[in-house]
Amino acid sequence: MGIKELLNLSDEDVKKPMPKPSKWSRPFWENTKQGKLTLKRCKDCGHIDQPPYLYCTNCMSENSEWIEASGKGKLKAYAINVYMVPFPFWDDMPYVVAMVELAEGVTMISNIVECDHDKLKNGMDLEVVFDDVSPEFTLPKWRPVKR
Amino acid sequence: MSKGEFAIIGTGEVPCGQYPERTEFEIAYEVARLAIKDAGIDKNEIGAVLSAQHIMGSEYNTEAVFGRLPEAIGAKGCKITCMTSSGGASSFSIRKTAEGILHSGETDTVLVIHAQRFSQFTMNEMARYFAVAGSDEEWDVPYGMTYNSLAAMITQGYLAATGTTIEQVAAVSVACRKWACLQPNAMYNKKEITVEKVLSSRMVAWPLTSLMCNVLADGGSAYIMTTAEKARKVCKKPAYILADASEYSHRGITTAKVKDLESLGTFLTPIAMKAYERAGLGPKEMSIFEMYGSYPVVQLILLDSIGICEPGKSGKLVASGATSPGGKYPTTTNGEALSFGHTGTGVGFGLFVEGVRQLQGKAGKAQVPNARFLIENTGGGAFMDCHFTILGNEIPA
Ligand SMILES: [Zn+2]
Repeated sequence: MGIKELLNLSDEDVKKPMPKPSKWSRPFWENTKQGKLTLKRCKDCGHIDQPPYLYCTNCMSENSEWIEASGKGKLKAYAINVYMVPFPFWDDMPYVVAMVELAEGVTMISNIVECDHDKLKNGMDLEVVFDDVSPEFTLPKWRPVKR
Repeated sequence: MSKGEFAIIGTGEVPCGQYPERTEFEIAYEVARLAIKDAGIDKNEIGAVLSAQHIMGSEYNTEAVFGRLPEAIGAKGCKITCMTSSGGASSFSIRKTAEGILHSGETDTVLVIHAQRFSQFTMNEMARYFAVAGSDEEWDVPYGMTYNSLAAMITQGYLAATGTTIEQVAAVSVACRKWACLQPNAMYNKKEITVEKVLSSRMVAWPLTSLMCNVLADGGSAYIMTTAEKARKVCKKPAYILADASEYSHRGITTAKVKDLESLGTFLTPIAMKAYERAGLGPKEMSIFEMYGSYPVVQLILLDSIGICEPGKSGKLVASGATSPGGKYPTTTNGEALSFGHTGTGVGFGLFVEGVRQLQGKAGKAQVPNARFLIENTGGGAFMDCHFTILGNEIPA
């Protein structure tokens, strides 16, 4: 039995929170829907901002482009949630929340999927996978690279 | 700010725990009364009443910014009232606001208040709030990130990088509980705990068990701050503010100024050293170390950064009992968020007020003998910033 039935919760109580894009981050989510992981890069100084902001946080230039990331990354650190998570994630437990450092140098919070929790190791190579969590949103997640 | 320009002359605090019948207004009025009484001043000497934000929203916030507190306290000489907030770092930013007001000369006496009542919210409301509070709504929350998982990730990364053991992490909870057992206002002050008990408590976010996570509670505290000149006249043993040093890092942990979890100390150490230098003191002169960790790993990273042990070795120090009552490095002498209780923006206030009590010789059973100087820190957000402060009951030359 899921947490919804167990505690007699409403649909709203167990609805997964979705990203709320800003004007400057919307392309990121439009691109993940197409199966592309993209990053906002400054055309003047080359700085990548993740999360993206209105203008470059390095030089304040508004001149930017979205580049496709390699989809390669490394596991920096992780936690395995097994209790006391918000109701929408209750039935997913245990799940891995991790810091992933992309080959492009930026770091993201994500889930590590398709993995044996006992075999996770900081520094291990990861590759991006796309999870269509709703009709509107696709989240980039990560799995260990198979050797 | 010059060294020892301002001082705290009295404090007030109420018991921390689940008290749903005690409103945040009652807490605020009561801690104010206790602080005024402790300072031994007339309430009408107070020229400014500052309050910290009640988190998760409350009518209290609106009332405070609409001037309820000076009226309810009967502070007839009040000229300025405001609310200051920077989340967990509020105890610092509000004190800076108080210093600015004192410096302006408009008044020489400021009352600072914190009050929080979490018990008015449901568990799910709190779980939802603390998922969002520590995390980015767009980039973290959709992944099921929580405050506990953030601390768990930092713990996992720190252990892997430094070789610190999970038993040593648990020892922080044990030491905090020992201190809390000496505190009449602590939430958990009845029974000490062991490393085994901490490790065998329910796993929450691996590697963190429930006894490595803080518990939200109702509580509050207040203090009276004056110029050093006035403090010397009206108070036998004021706690002087000797020096501060600050740094901001990030909103989300993924954009922290220091990228590697094993080198978080490289962010913190220069701040602590700057505070020591400005006070003209060093770690050897400190009697007490009031570290605002809220999770054991954060206390370890802080202890690594303040010049009392080699970076990465604080776990060994804590496990040896050095930070416990009677140890060489008395640390978080009120038991902090882990055992005193997590009162929202009030954790930093609680530690600050406890530090003042120690320096004033009013810490009761928790009193560290001959306490002269201490280092205190606070920080907010998802470890967004850090502020170290040196306090003393004398002004070193
Ligand atoms: Zn730029």
